[in-house]
Amino acid sequence: MPIVAYRLIVLGITTLAVAAPLSLVIYQSFLTAPFFDPSARTGLLAYSFVFADSDFWQAFWTTIVIAGGMAAIAVPLGALLAFLMVRTDVPGREYLEPLILIPIFVSAVVIAFGYVVAIGPVGIFSTLAKDVLGFVPWNLYSLLALIVIAGLTHVPHVYLYSAAALRGLSTDLEEAARVSGANPFRVAVNVSLPMILPAILFAGVLVFFLGFELFGLPLVLGDPQDVLVLSTYLYKLTNKLGVPSYQLMAVVVVAIIAITAPLVFMQRLLLRQAQRYVSVRGKGLKTKPLRLHGWRWIAFGAIALWLFITVVVPLFGITLRSFVVTWGEGVKLRDVLTLDHYRELSDYPNVIRGIINTLGIGVIGGAISVACYTAIALAVHRWNSGWTRLVDYLVMVPRAMPGLVAGLALLWVFLFVPFLSPLKSTMVSIWLAYSIVWLAYGMRLVSGTLLQVAPELEEAARTAGANDLRVKRDVTVPLIKYGMLASWLLIFLIFVREYSTGIYLLGPGTEVIGSLLVSLWGTGAVDLVSALSVVNVVMIGVGLAVAVRLGVRLHG
Amino acid sequence: MAELIVKDVALRLGDNEILKGASVSVPAGEVIALLGPSGSGKTTLLRAIAGLETPYRGSIAIGDRVFFDAARGIELPAEERGLGLVFQSYALWPHRTVFDNVAYGLKLRGVSAAEIKTRVEKTLSQIGLGHLGARFPHQLSGGQQQRVAIARALVYEPPVILLDEPLSNLDAKLREEARAWLRTLIVTLGLSAIHVTHDQVEAMAIADRIVLLDAGLIVQEGPPTALYNEPTNLFSAEFMGSNNRLDGTLVENTGGRATIELFGERLSGVSRTKANKGAKATGIIRIERVRCASSAGLNRLKMELKAPMYLGERWELVFARDTLTVRAYASAPLEPGDHFVEFPSEALWLF
Repeated sequence: MPIVAYRLIVLGITTLAVAAPLSLVIYQSFLTAPFFDPSARTGLLAYSFVFADSDFWQAFWTTIVIAGGMAAIAVPLGALLAFLMVRTDVPGREYLEPLILIPIFVSAVVIAFGYVVAIGPVGIFSTLAKDVLGFVPWNLYSLLALIVIAGLTHVPHVYLYSAAALRGLSTDLEEAARVSGANPFRVAVNVSLPMILPAILFAGVLVFFLGFELFGLPLVLGDPQDVLVLSTYLYKLTNKLGVPSYQLMAVVVVAIIAITAPLVFMQRLLLRQAQRYVSVRGKGLKTKPLRLHGWRWIAFGAIALWLFITVVVPLFGITLRSFVVTWGEGVKLRDVLTLDHYRELSDYPNVIRGIINTLGIGVIGGAISVACYTAIALAVHRWNSGWTRLVDYLVMVPRAMPGLVAGLALLWVFLFVPFLSPLKSTMVSIWLAYSIVWLAYGMRLVSGTLLQVAPELEEAARTAGANDLRVKRDVTVPLIKYGMLASWLLIFLIFVREYSTGIYLLGPGTEVIGSLLVSLWGTGAVDLVSALSVVNVVMIGVGLAVAVRLGVRLHG
Repeated sequence: MAELIVKDVALRLGDNEILKGASVSVPAGEVIALLGPSGSGKTTLLRAIAGLETPYRGSIAIGDRVFFDAARGIELPAEERGLGLVFQSYALWPHRTVFDNVAYGLKLRGVSAAEIKTRVEKTLSQIGLGHLGARFPHQLSGGQQQRVAIARALVYEPPVILLDEPLSNLDAKLREEARAWLRTLIVTLGLSAIHVTHDQVEAMAIADRIVLLDAGLIVQEGPPTALYNEPTNLFSAEFMGSNNRLDGTLVENTGGRATIELFGERLSGVSRTKANKGAKATGIIRIERVRCASSAGLNRLKMELKAPMYLGERWELVFARDTLTVRAYASAPLEPGDHFVEFPSEALWLF
């Protein structure tokens, strides 16, 4: 039976790809030295060392404070934003929608650099404020600023899930409240938002979970203050002891996964609940937006202000910085304009390779990844068996590994398995890491498309005489072509944006813009970093424009 | 071609017992209608025959080719049964032209390109769509799509063609035309077919034999005239035709005749029950068999005319007495007021 063979092979490869990095990390955490060191023994030494380190606990609590803080900011704002966009007549909603999603698609390190050059101590806006007010009314390098920025940039995540839930709700409940005398704000707070509470709760857990994945923002904004979170603590651990202290890193990774894994599981349960809650959906539900009257422009102003702070300030900052020689107090823009930073990009062969590699991983790597995700999704598609549960859980495993961690685990796999070592310094390693990290996302995109194929179309082919594999080849795959194309575009955007997964794999031949930015920032090459950031943003902008033009839904 | 025999098929979907042991046989060249209300298991039975659902008991075979046998652990996958199936939604592949939709079954059977072309064109012209081969399904009307779906199932000459409510997606007028067309096509080509429908008129028009299902069991089977004129049980009697229902008490039940009493009056009819006198009984009579009479008499009830309704080719009269309502047809309206309604004893079945 060829279909059985196909399913088992796909399942086997997926299991191996997902389980190998994780098992290696767990194994390493119980060794007393790096796995390649002949003196390594099994033991809990690494655990006792890490757990005795006060910096670790400091980072642990900071992470919890930041994750909780950003959820406290992002959840109410995201839910309110969803209400305004979905339910009311805020001006220019159709133009705002893609803008709102920009923070999801722009790399967090780029945003962080943008804030530093825009509102850092000598940033463009800071010097402006000092000229006008005589002092700078904000301090970028503080825990509070980090929490606020993390919170504001995660508003779109909450927005997406709340908006989807709101679109499925019938509007007569809101109209009834309006008729009873509630103003739009009260309608939102008393009626609409409580109705979509399960979705909001899910989004809250998601944002809290993303708090543990934060890396770019705390690395750039927390560093000058020595604010460490778990991911930056892990990153610094590499340099801390001088020698490769893999066993300690493994312990930190295990600690991170021990927190994120239950959160992933919880999200799964909450998502199910949220989907059950939404009873009415479908296009039949065309409703009139709630009229805001005088509130219209106030609401618009609030959204515009949020967009200004989260999108315009950092992106404008980084762009302007890439075109000036220097910036500081008393500098006149006219005198410092230059294109040199872009010219200098070509002086660095690794930067050029990074740009080419990034395009390659997005376009070619993305296509191969979508093909792999499709192969897995097809293996479980219409498979009436308990094994499909295994795939569900397999997909969740990498979800619990932040990119930085997954990259590290993959590095070890490449070092550990002799015949894989030659691939370590090629883009294959990067591609594998990216594909595993985004497995859950990619699978969701492809399975969503597969769900839309009516079962009769496949059954018709079965009765006409086609076996299972033939049905997939002749009917299922041709029918999901467009969906696969859309998934490719989204995966392209994600891969081009990605920065943390490639950090530990960075080396000659495996440069990508994201990991290069992190390493260049460490050397203080602000000019180069700004120009390269803008290149990255332009790539993503082009991809987004194509996606919007083709009518691709920007969320899976 | 041999006979399709379905024996004692029982099937569960989740916790629901959909089929509780259904047996059907389809001799070569015969058209069977699986008739029943929604949820009766008729579509599930068809899908089990096609190989798209797996029963837990029973067997399905054509001649000596066993498709399924729970006892012997045999289950032929759908693609190896070689049957033709027409879906309710037609399930035409949207990415293929009409020609390619129809040709697919032949392609899978390794037929040469030249022969595919002749056979597909022949089939398409048989169904009157010879000129539309290059179109895509979405460029066709509902009626045309339905014909393509039938052509796709016919082209490789399956021993039996299975039709799952193929007419239900057409609007009322088109459905009547399509019904006549389908019957003619099946008879001309000499096909064996199983036609699933919930529409009794469609079943009677199309089938040589009707199998009536209720809640996963076959309640009666036979030629359309038998089902309509000689129902053996209350469900069949009520499901076929439009009926009046008279609830009363059995006062006599001997020799195939029975009498019930209601409002202190007696009505006699054909006995379809084994109950003894004194038991509750139900009388069923088709609306068109009820007659209006001018005077009291045998098997007549005095009733008040409530509402005469004009239906175009005739009048429908609604009579009432206490909680009993009786509908009857007449060629002319009657005056409101009391009338005598006759229930001819050969047309009144007592269950």
